[in-house]
Amino acid sequence: MMEQPVHVDGGEQIGLPALFAAFFRLGIVSFGGGTAGWLYREIVERRHWIRDTEFLSRAGLAHLMPGSGGVNLTVQVGQLLRGGPGAVAAVFGLLSGPFVIVLALAASYARVSQNATVHAVLDGIAAAAIGLTFATGLKLVQFRVASAGPLAITVATVLCVGVLRWPMIPVVLCLAPISITLALFDRTGWNA
Amino acid sequence: MPDDPRILLALALVFAPLSLLSIGGGASLLAEIEHQSVGVHAWTTPREFADLFAISRAAPGPGTMLSTLVGWKVGGLAGALSATVALYLPSCLLVYGVARLWRRWRGSIWHTAIERGLAPIAAGLILAGGIAVLRVSPGGLMVWLAAALSTGIILWRPHLHPLVLFAAGGALFGLVGAIEL
Repeated sequence: MMEQPVHVDGGEQIGLPALFAAFFRLGIVSFGGGTAGWLYREIVERRHWIRDTEFLSRAGLAHLMPGSGGVNLTVQVGQLLRGGPGAVAAVFGLLSGPFVIVLALAASYARVSQNATVHAVLDGIAAAAIGLTFATGLKLVQFRVASAGPLAITVATVLCVGVLRWPMIPVVLCLAPISITLALFDRTGWNA
Repeated sequence: MPDDPRILLALALVFAPLSLLSIGGGASLLAEIEHQSVGVHAWTTPREFADLFAISRAAPGPGTMLSTLVGWKVGGLAGALSATVALYLPSCLLVYGVARLWRRWRGSIWHTAIERGLAPIAAGLILAGGIAVLRVSPGGLMVWLAAALSTGIILWRPHLHPLVLFAAGGALFGLVGAIEL
């Protein structure tokens, strides 16, 4: 059940090595998350492998599904361009660079992990990165702050997982159906 | 470093289910990865976890290389591979399957409801992840203050490159640490 590969703008089919190379490059330049933005610039704007509207629809699905949005989008772009093998080549391309880099960093860390200054520097990086995490979460809250229901769900999630330290899986399995039901009933602002 | 197959299996059993529940991306797993690594399995000390978190954020890549580092810490290269594959393979297979149905499904009431219903949970999980790392960070009050400052800076200047902020944080703490010694 292979999907028909897309031939972009009448051009020839993109080779698997080219696909791997493009995503390898993306993997090692995308710092601080936000892979989708890098993907857009590289795949849509620079290489014209995929049309704008197709990309946006795929990005929507990528964020709706579990998993990293950037990796999910990569799976779909690979699949669109070269079917199953394309998806595999793209994902391996995206992850292999960061995998090696992060292990190299960790190996050098292991050699200096007794050094107090190293810990201090890492604490500083962690603090900045925690700020990035909080800002991302707060931006998502702000997005729907007008409505009390979703806000209550967010607060409940923070309380259960962050403060009470309950395991995430049962909490999500309980809250997700409640939250989706709320969304079904509260359709203010729906465009559809 | 033990290359015990039982550890590889334990890593896979922890990360594979999380793969399918990481709503809103890898950041939503932060609290649970901390809970499992430090609390349940004692794979890392709080100090090591805070350091691995910082390393995972300073490296490039799409989000959660933290699982790779936890795997590496307990099981070497095999552990890193096991944790990485477990974290990414299930969600990749799911998205590969669902992508085919996507066009048909688009714009339906259910699609919008799921999208809108999961967003507040994702926001809550991401915020909880920030709290989880703050909790294990041995840096104390200064880390809390710096994290609050960093949050403010990013909300104020959303286009600031994260590496600039990481470098500033690392340099600031490194200097203060050097003075205190």
